[in-house]
Amino acid sequence: MPGSKDQCDCLYQEAISAHGPALGRLARAYEADAEDRRDLLQEIHLALWRSFAGFDARCSLRTWVYRVAHNAAASHILRSRRARSKTLVSLEEIEEQGGIAARDDTGGSVERSQILERLYAFIQCLNPLDRQVILLYLEGMDAASIGDVTGISSGYAATKIHRIKTILTKRFRSGGDHEKR
Amino acid sequence: MKNDNPSNGLCNLWQSQSSELIPMPVDELRQASNRLARRVQWRNLREYAAVAVVVAVFSFYGYRFHAMMLRAGASLTIAGALFMAFQLYRKGSAAEMAAGLEAKNCLEFYRMELVRQRDLLATIWKWYLLPFAPGMILFLLGLLLSVMEQPAAHLHYGLIALVFGATFAVCAGVFVLVGAMNHRAAKELQRQIDALDAARIES
Repeated sequence: MPGSKDQCDCLYQEAISAHGPALGRLARAYEADAEDRRDLLQEIHLALWRSFAGFDARCSLRTWVYRVAHNAAASHILRSRRARSKTLVSLEEIEEQGGIAARDDTGGSVERSQILERLYAFIQCLNPLDRQVILLYLEGMDAASIGDVTGISSGYAATKIHRIKTILTKRFRSGGDHEKR
Repeated sequence: MKNDNPSNGLCNLWQSQSSELIPMPVDELRQASNRLARRVQWRNLREYAAVAVVVAVFSFYGYRFHAMMLRAGASLTIAGALFMAFQLYRKGSAAEMAAGLEAKNCLEFYRMELVRQRDLLATIWKWYLLPFAPGMILFLLGLLLSVMEQPAAHLHYGLIALVFGATFAVCAGVFVLVGAMNHRAAKELQRQIDALDAARIES
């Protein structure tokens, strides 16, 4: 059952302490412009806080948080004139275009921040569904959990993850090195 | 040494980023929520104020001009503006934040938003453009007839034809352009809906 105002506030605090940093990363992956990103993040916080009036614990808090945040971000993209004018691609299209994979980011001295910049740029080119899947994957969620948030089947999410791994491996080989250095 | 699965390294790198978290105390959220509601109210008010201006101007024309066609044109334009205001109210054009963000999974929600926007754009000619067309046409025709009734009108047929022809062409051009742009945007949204549906079937 939806909770009282105090319960909503508590749930919000709990959600933010557990998933706040992930929401910051999510906002950056959806919005390249710093000013708009701040607005988006504020919008996500507000949507989340309001949403807890209807939280019935039928799904986990994490699923709820990501669902609300991704929906708020997708809605933001649809409203944004600049984002609408951008051509977004799917993972499948990227995989088919061998050319993108050939533009390999394997420079040995690639800095951590540069890798992240490229990763954000790459994610911002993806259509909303694939963007959601890759972000949830990067946050460490498995196929079943990704399916819960996005609404695709876990099998399809697993296929997407496999595709993501292939593409990331080709594009960001040095990203793997980073942890070992 | 290389990691066998570089994407794992990327996941670690991703999660280790410093947070861009904006601390938002609950009181601040309440204030933000109220600000948002006020912003929506103001935007609605601006839209209705624009309609009020059209109504005031064409009411004045209706009062000032005595020709039947001009009065009929002015009345129809007012009716068109009121109809549009009603449609804006019904469709909630100024909604700042989509409703039901939490109720649906991302795929359902995104599809629902795409469909809503597609329908809004695809039918814009019906609720935004067409209601103004009869009034504007009648009003311009009324103006043309009034000018033609002037004593020296026969000396300036060429100029009159040019001015009214250009005015009609510009009005028609704006209508067609707005309609075509929205039709194109609706088609693009439909393409995205089809792609989502394909993903759902595949899923």
